[in-house]
Parts: sequence; C-alpha cells; structure tokens
Amino acid sequence: MLLQVQNLQLSLKRAGKFISILDDVSFQVQKGETLGIVGESGCGKSMTALSIMRLLPDKAKLAGEVKVGSEVISKLSKKKLEKIRGNQISMIFQDPLTSLNPLHTVGKQIEEALILHTNLTKKERKDRVVELLKEVGLPRAEEMVKEYPHQLSGGMRQRIMIAIAMACRPQLLICDEPTTALDVTVQAQILELMNKLKQENDMGIIMITHDLGVVAEVCNRVMVMYAGKVVEEAEVNELFQRPRHPYTIGLLEAIPRVGERKRTLGSIPGTVPSPQNLPIGCRFADRCKDAMEICRQAQPKTLQLTDDHRVACWLYDERREDLKDDITRNQESKTTLSH
Amino acid sequence: MGAIRFIVKRLILMLPILLGITILTFFISNTIPGDPARLILGPKATPEGIERLREEMGLNDPIYVQYGKYMYGLVQGDFGKSTYSQQAVSEDLKRYFPATFELTLFSMFLTVLIGIPFGIISANKKDKIPDQITRFMALTGVAMPAFWLGIILLLFFYLKIGILPGGGRIDSWVSPPEAITGMYTIDSLLTGNWEALKSSLIHLILPGFTQAAVTIGMITRMTRSSMLEVLRSDYIRTAYAKGGSENRVLYGHALQNGMMPILTLMGMTFGHALGGSVLVESVFSWPGLGRYAVNAINYLDFPAVMGVTILIAVLFITVNLIIDILYHVIDPRLKYE
Repeated sequence: MLLQVQNLQLSLKRAGKFISILDDVSFQVQKGETLGIVGESGCGKSMTALSIMRLLPDKAKLAGEVKVGSEVISKLSKKKLEKIRGNQISMIFQDPLTSLNPLHTVGKQIEEALILHTNLTKKERKDRVVELLKEVGLPRAEEMVKEYPHQLSGGMRQRIMIAIAMACRPQLLICDEPTTALDVTVQAQILELMNKLKQENDMGIIMITHDLGVVAEVCNRVMVMYAGKVVEEAEVNELFQRPRHPYTIGLLEAIPRVGERKRTLGSIPGTVPSPQNLPIGCRFADRCKDAMEICRQAQPKTLQLTDDHRVACWLYDERREDLKDDITRNQESKTTLSH
Repeated sequence: MGAIRFIVKRLILMLPILLGITILTFFISNTIPGDPARLILGPKATPEGIERLREEMGLNDPIYVQYGKYMYGLVQGDFGKSTYSQQAVSEDLKRYFPATFELTLFSMFLTVLIGIPFGIISANKKDKIPDQITRFMALTGVAMPAFWLGIILLLFFYLKIGILPGGGRIDSWVSPPEAITGMYTIDSLLTGNWEALKSSLIHLILPGFTQAAVTIGMITRMTRSSMLEVLRSDYIRTAYAKGGSENRVLYGHALQNGMMPILTLMGMTFGHALGGSVLVESVFSWPGLGRYAVNAINYLDFPAVMGVTILIAVLFITVNLIIDILYHVIDPRLKYE
C-alpha cells in the first residue's frame, strides 16, 4: 500500500468559526495506480490533496491519519515533512502560470528540488535538469533552462511543473486539476505524458478533476466526493457502467455523448449545501430524487457493495427499515434535550 | 545592450531635470526678501558700503544675468564662492557632504537590515504576536519626531549609562583616517585603521538609529503589505510543495517577488534622508550638509544653497536611476524602454 488515508477530518477557520471542510474521508492508493477524485468545486477534493501534503492554511484543524509507505505524514515534524514534500510526494497544480515563480528561470526552479533532496554536484544537477526537460517532452531543453515562465506557452509551463514534480522520482504524484487551464489538444498530450511517466516510474497518482473525460482516460479507480464526504468509490469501468449513488448517476447523465443529438442533458437540481450549514442527514438528500425520509434524518454509512465498489447511500442499506425507528427515536430525544 | 542604452538615455534625461532645478532654486532664493550684502556687513554697515558690496557680488544685475553668470561658472564645475564661509562652495561640499552621506548610508543599512526582516516576519505571522510587536514598533518609529528620539537616546545612552558618545563623528583623541572618500568608516577600513573604524562606528550608532527609526517603520509596513500579497500566490505554495523550508520560501521566493514597492520606497526615503538630516545632525553635532544648508539659508548664502540643492538633486536622481535598473535586474518580465 502506497498511500493510506484514514478518517480525515478538516476544519478551516472562516470569520472566527471553524467550519467542517472534510468529513471522514478515507481512501487508499496503490503503487502504479491512478485514483481519480471527482466532484464539483468546493466539494473538498483540492483540500484533500493539500491535507496529504499538509499545505493547509495556518488556521486549519486536521485530524485523521495519512500514511505514505510506513511514514505517518500527519504526525511528522516540519523538518521531516520538508524532506518528504517534493521528494516522496509531489504535487502539480491547476494553473501552471501562477504556480511557477515568475522571477526564476525554468532551470533554477527544477534544480531547486534537486538541491533540496539530493547530493548531486552542480554539474550533475545541470545535466539532470536537461534530462528532465527532455523526459517531459520539451524540445530544445538546453536553451529552455535559461528561460522564464512568461516566455513559454501554457502546455510547456505545465510540462515544467511536471518536470519539477518528477525531479526526485516521487512515489506519489498528486495532480490538482492539471489540465483544466489548458486547451483540449494540449490536455490530451499532458495526460498521455502522465500515463507514460506513471508506467516508467511505477508511482501512484491522485488525479483531482471535475472532468469525467479525464477520469476515463487515465484513472484506474474513481472516488466521488460531495460536500466534504466520499459518496462513492469504484473501479473506473464499474463506476461508469454501474453508478450507484444518485449523485454519481446525475454526474454521468450530465456528460454529453456524441451521436445522441436529441437527448437533453441531465442536470442535478439545487445547489451544494454551504459548509456553514450542513444538514444532519445525507448531504445530498435535498437534491436527490430518490430521497427517503431516513436520508434527511441520519448520515448513511459507507457500504462495501463488492470488492471494488463502495457507496454511502441509504438506498443500498438493508437496515434502512429496521433503523428507521431507532433514528426517529434518537432524533426525538435530541429535540427534547434541546428544549 | 538594452540596458546600456536605457542608462544612457536616462542620464541624458537628467540634464533637463537639473536645469529645471537650478532655475527653480535660483529664482526662489533670489526673490526671498532680505539682502545678502547687508547680512554680511552686519548692523553697522553704511549704505555706501552695502551698495559697493552689492555691486561686487553682482546683485545689482538683472536676475537673468545673475543666473546666466552662475550657470556659466557651473558648467565649468565652479559652484561659486560661499558668502558665509568665504570659501569655494565645492570645497565646503567636499568637507560636509561625506559626513551626511555616511550617516545616510548607515541609516539605510539599518533600515534594510531591520525593516525588511521585520516586515517579512510580520506578514508571515499575520495577526499573531510577532506581527503585533513589529506593528507597534513600526508605528512608534514613524510617529516619534527624530529630534525628540535623538535627545531621549542621548540622555539615556550618553548621560545616564554612558556607553555611547554624545556627538561628533569620532573621539577627539583619535585622529581621523586619511581622507579618501571623506567617510570615516570607509576610509579607516581602506587604510586599515582599526582604532578609527571602531570610534567612528560607535559614533554612528545613535544618529544612525535616530535617522533610521522613521524609515525602518515605513519599510516594515511596506514589506508587510507587499509580502502579504505575495504569500498568497500559487508559486509560494509550489515552493513549499517542493520541500522548501519556511526561510527558503520567504527569502528565496517571496522577498524577491515583493521587492518592487519596497525598492520604490527605499529610493524615496534615501533622498528624504539626504535632504532631511538637519535635525539629526543638530542633535548629535554631526558636521554634515544639513547644518551647512541651514546656515546657508539663514545668511542668504545663495551659492551655497544652490550647491547643496544641486548636489542632493543629482544624488536623488542617481539613486532612483539605480533603483530603476534594479527593477529590471529583479524582474525579467520588464523590458528596458
């Protein structure tokens, strides 16, 4: 097991109050595997990534355990964490223009990772930088070393970001919407490059995206998040063919398909609940066309449907009828207490 | 190539600015009520004597003729003769300017050394205790009048505990180093005169700090706001994601990106410090240009006033040119125009 995330809880301070951003997020990534994390903006997918790297804002409260190999990231000191970031775990961000330091040359920015994590001599580092640039498919690597980010195109910049991330041969690469800011043809090239690098280096990848097309292209497994919770996780074909959670089903219906001209695209009514005001029951209940009474009263448990498919939805919980009475009783006692 | 053309162009542009400054200063100082000749000869002067001296000094010529004569001398490097010290103004400037320049350089040095790290700490620990402390210190520094702070420092460090000297540039029993630049610290470094170096450095501490108090405060606040902006950037997150330590990210990535407004302010405060050192120089009996300039104004010593103004203007413009060049050194996206 490469990465193990268990019961991640994250709260951020906004306007003096802690609000819950991630609730009980657990998942795993194996070597040589790409896990996709999908969901609409604000569902916590980027925050999940930043929690693994511990790149959160100062006023964040993080609980739960993140384990990479045998190292428990969530308990490391600052110093040890710095040794791991950019070395065992790397990250690629959405906008390659703003993510690169505008005042440093491309070469310097790639070299920095090598300075931080290797004992290579200056000459060896120079050679390695050129090698990396070639590896990520950049032409005229020798000259590009001396260039600045603003002199390059978007696709080139994202390749530079990948070169930085790959500099120390990480075991785990986290990509936060790496192709969102790029145009379509460049997107495909970047995804292809990432697939190639994954196979060559046998690393694990977390691909955060809201684009199910990207998921289909590169992911082995997909995890769907909604309002800070994992609602469904499955092997990629399984998820596309047999989505279980009404939210996932809604997402898949919203993808346009070639050749189906007359079909109106599906959409999910309503909006995501704000993190300041989360419902006590299932967070999707208000937008769910299959919502039952129990959905609004209690949060669904995560159910393992098959070996590679889990879902958090009352529809698949056999106990829903039995539990109903218990839950209503609980609710009543709570309300009487608060009176 | 672009850089050299840029510098030459800017140097040529300096000429009309300087011309403007000479015109402005000349006409303003000559329209101030009062008669230099009368001031020189004193209260017992006869009207005939005054008239003779006015004629001698060329004060009876029309003002544009006076200006023309002055400029004719100036282009030949002649600043005229000071009516007060009875010496060539260029000699006076040579004597007083290095003291002021040394003090200004030292206070700028303190400003950068203290102000920038304070601002960075302040931004990095926003709204936490270190930020509150530096904010308090910065605001105090800006709010305290220099002469008052100077006197308080003197009272404490000189009179009360007596660990620092009470004024002047060097101890009376230490002979000043051989004059090369005229700045005692630098000359004693160049000649290897350690005794003079020590003495002159100790004498710089109080006036230097007094003069720097305001600028430290300003640079701290400017650095803080500029860094707050930069620290929110994506590339700062990238730098941390690479495994950079806090210091590496702050000083290796953030500071450079936040440097533009800090540099601009530094250029302005440098000029301000050069021209506005009168109060500090008076409190610490620092034999510098500020005191010379005040005397010159009091005695309507026009050549001296002109000399001081032109010198400070040239320096101010040069400093700002250097800062413009630094912008380009720091930011590769800027093009020399």
